[in-house]
Parts: sequence; C-alpha cells; structure tokens
Amino acid sequence: MVIIGIPTFGNKGLSEVMNDRFGRCSSFTFVTIENDEIVEVKTVANDAQGAMGGAGIQAAQIIGNNGATEVIVGHLGPNAMNSLSALNLKIYQSQGGSLTVKELIDLHLSGKLQVLTASNVGAHAGMGGGRGAGMGGGGGRGRQ
Amino acid sequence: MVKPKIICVTGGKGGTGKTLVAVNLAIMFKNRGYKVLLIDGDVENPNTFLLLNAKLKNKSEVLYFLPKIIEDKCNKCGLCAENCGTHALLYIKDSYPIPISTVCSGCKLCYKICPTNAIEPDLKVIGWTYTASAFNIDLFLGELKPSEARSAVIVNKLMENLEEVIKTEPEKYDIVILDTAPGAHCDVEELINGADFVIPVTEPTRFGKLDLLRIIELINLLKKEYKAIVNRSSLLGYKEKFLKELEEKGVEVLGDIPLDEEIVSSYCQGIPLMEETSKFDRDGAGYKSFQQIFENLMEWGEFSK
Ligand code: SF4
Ligand code: SF4
Repeated sequence: MVIIGIPTFGNKGLSEVMNDRFGRCSSFTFVTIENDEIVEVKTVANDAQGAMGGAGIQAAQIIGNNGATEVIVGHLGPNAMNSLSALNLKIYQSQGGSLTVKELIDLHLSGKLQVLTASNVGAHAGMGGGRGAGMGGGGGRGRQ
Repeated sequence: MVKPKIICVTGGKGGTGKTLVAVNLAIMFKNRGYKVLLIDGDVENPNTFLLLNAKLKNKSEVLYFLPKIIEDKCNKCGLCAENCGTHALLYIKDSYPIPISTVCSGCKLCYKICPTNAIEPDLKVIGWTYTASAFNIDLFLGELKPSEARSAVIVNKLMENLEEVIKTEPEKYDIVILDTAPGAHCDVEELINGADFVIPVTEPTRFGKLDLLRIIELINLLKKEYKAIVNRSSLLGYKEKFLKELEEKGVEVLGDIPLDEEIVSSYCQGIPLMEETSKFDRDGAGYKSFQQIFENLMEWGEFSK
C-alpha cells in the first residue's frame, strides 16, 4: 500500500486539479493505492497556506502526518524539498499543465512521472512575484 | 554619565558612497577631539578598514546555535516543534523532530523548553568579528563566512559588543558611527534602530531616488530622525533638479558631495580625505563639501566642542 499526497485547490477528490504551489496550496488530496488500484481518496486543508515563512516545512508536516510516502508536486522550494527528503518521501514531478488527481495517478501508475531530486524554485517563490520556476532538478530516472 | 551619540550611515543601493561618508565623518569628529568608534555593519563586504588602511586584530569566532536532537532522551512530545516560531523543526506524530537548519533563527527556545533535555546545542562558526584602529579611530567589523546566509547574527554580535563597551566603559567613546550594508533588510534595520541619527546616502539618478525613498520609509517606520546626503552631486549636472525633487517629497538634505579627483586619490592611498595630517587640497570641492556637511551635522545633532 502506498499513500500519495498531491497539492490541490479544493476537495473534489479525484477530479480536483493539482496546484503547482506546494507550501501555499489550499488543500492536499491523499490517494491510497493497493495493487495498482485506488482504494481511498481524502482531502486535508493546508493550514500552512498563509504562513509567513516555513510554509513548505509545515506542508511537509501535513504530508507526513497523513501517512503519505510519496508526493507529486509542481514547484517545490528548497525548504519543502529539504523537509520532504528528511522524511524520506519519494518526490515525483508533475508534467505541467492542469492535470487532475486522477490523471496524475494514472501517469504515475504507468511510470511516466519523473523523480525530483532537487528544489526547482527559490525560497519564498510562493509569496507573490517569485523568481520564475524552471524545471531545475528533473533528474530523469523514472519510477524505480 | 553620558552615552555616546550614535550616527547610522546607510543608503538603499550599493556603491552610493556610504563608506566614504562614514569614514570621513568619523575622521572629522576625531579631528575635533571626539573619541570615535566606527562600526562596519556590511559584514558580507566589509571595506572600511581598507579605506583606513587598518590592520585587523582580535579575530573572534561568531558561533551560531542549531538544535541537535538526542534521540535517547527525546520522548517525541512535539513541544519544541509546536513552539518554534520559524517552524524550523519538522515534527511528525510519534517520530523525532527534524531540525531544518536553513530556517532556524538560532533563538534556542526549543533548547530551553524541552522537558527531557533532549536538545543539545550544535554550535557552528558562521563568521568572525575583528577590531582595528587607524588615525586614532577605533573600528569594529564583522565578516560573514562565505556560503553562510545569516548576516544578521554577525551584525547582532557587533551591536552586542558595542553595548558591552557602553556598559563597562561609558566614557570610552563620544561618537559611534555605524556603516550599514546596502539594501533595507534586517541587518540594516537593526543598525538604524540602534542609532540616534540616520544619514542615508544617495546619488542623483532615478535609481538613487527610488532607493532613497525606500530606505526613508524604513527610517520613518522605526521613528528615527534622518537627513540625506547626495553623493556625486555634480554627476551630469542634474543636482538642482534632483534636490528639488527631494524637496518636493519632503526629504531633508544634510549636504552634497561633488565628483572629485581627490576623493579617488584618497581611496588609492588609504588616507581619508578629511584626515588632518593629510596633504589633500583644503580648497578642493570634495574637501569643502565635507566641511559643510560636518557643520550642518554639528548643528543638527547639537553636538558641542
Ligand atoms: S520537546 Fe524535547 S522531548 Fe519533546 S519532541 Fe522536542 S526534543 Fe523531543
Ligand atoms: S533554535 Fe529557535 S528557531 Fe531554531 S529550531 Fe529551536 S526554536 Fe526553532
């Protein structure tokens, strides 16, 4: 069994669209998978959304406290990256575009998502303005 | 017992001539018989000692606290993480908290409140402080270790050292001049906050004006008195227009410094322009402008002697 956490906007479950901003998304959707089948979907609000600083760390805490072992993200700042790595979570990079949770899980199950090994945005990029967000890390290792 | 008067020289962007002003103000006070301490708060790029040709002494390490979790003692209660103001402790139910060093402010709160004493200091050198003296001026300066980001800790240390001197030897200095880093971040804020008078240095360009207005916003927030200095005022002949613009914005000006070859040669020689034993031209435009600034400053600050 694996639980995958995905930053999202609301609580529409599998049809919810992924939110590119990790620390400052409004909710996380957690999908539990067993034998390549979706067995449970739940939504948790992101209390850290408006945090002055350390939003990435608090968000990682929510991910950890909900038992997730993997995440799928768009943009990930250095603090969030450090925190997720410290929790030994496997981090997958979404391919961009407004994909739904269901579409991302399907891509994931067919091994099409790449593992992210380094932060792909600067600190505080989520706080308005930001510094642009290239796919710095990437690391094309696919699913192991 | 009188406390020394503290003057902070600052300015929005880099290269406006803050250090030139700070060093020469210090020299002019010294020429008048004041006991002067100059503090270089630009710890990422300290260069007052170069302008004064001073030799650094008393190198001392600045240590920084990071929490280290002793797992044998930790009962995983999460109290430390709950109370950490910067959320630098990552805590998942029933596991050991994980310090995220990049956001830890070094406040030691977690260390003080842990009920089982499971947190120990993990001290790290993040820079150094030095002292120096030249031309009868004492100098405090700090240096941030390359690759470190917490310059505010070093600036803090310099200000602590100042407080210590004021407490133990209140008569040692009459005047303290603080030279800040460029920008309007927390290092600069701390120095402005510690000052009685603030002098932002700018230059007559559009960027100069924008940066000046930004730093004035900060000075006003901290409720400090200020007067600006316009450096390189002969640049492109825009001085009158620029001064008028500042007046329209209600910015008070202490004086201006023209472009002057002697200023450049004072840099090269490591002798401050205003040093009384120097051989610079007493009738030069730069020299005279500094004299005028000093007179205005004496009047503004109601300094006696
Ligand atoms: S407060 Fe002390 S005992 Fe509690 S989790 Fe933190 S380190 Fe462990
Ligand atoms: S020292 Fe302060 S900022 Fe750092 S982890 Fe402890 S409580 Fe948090």
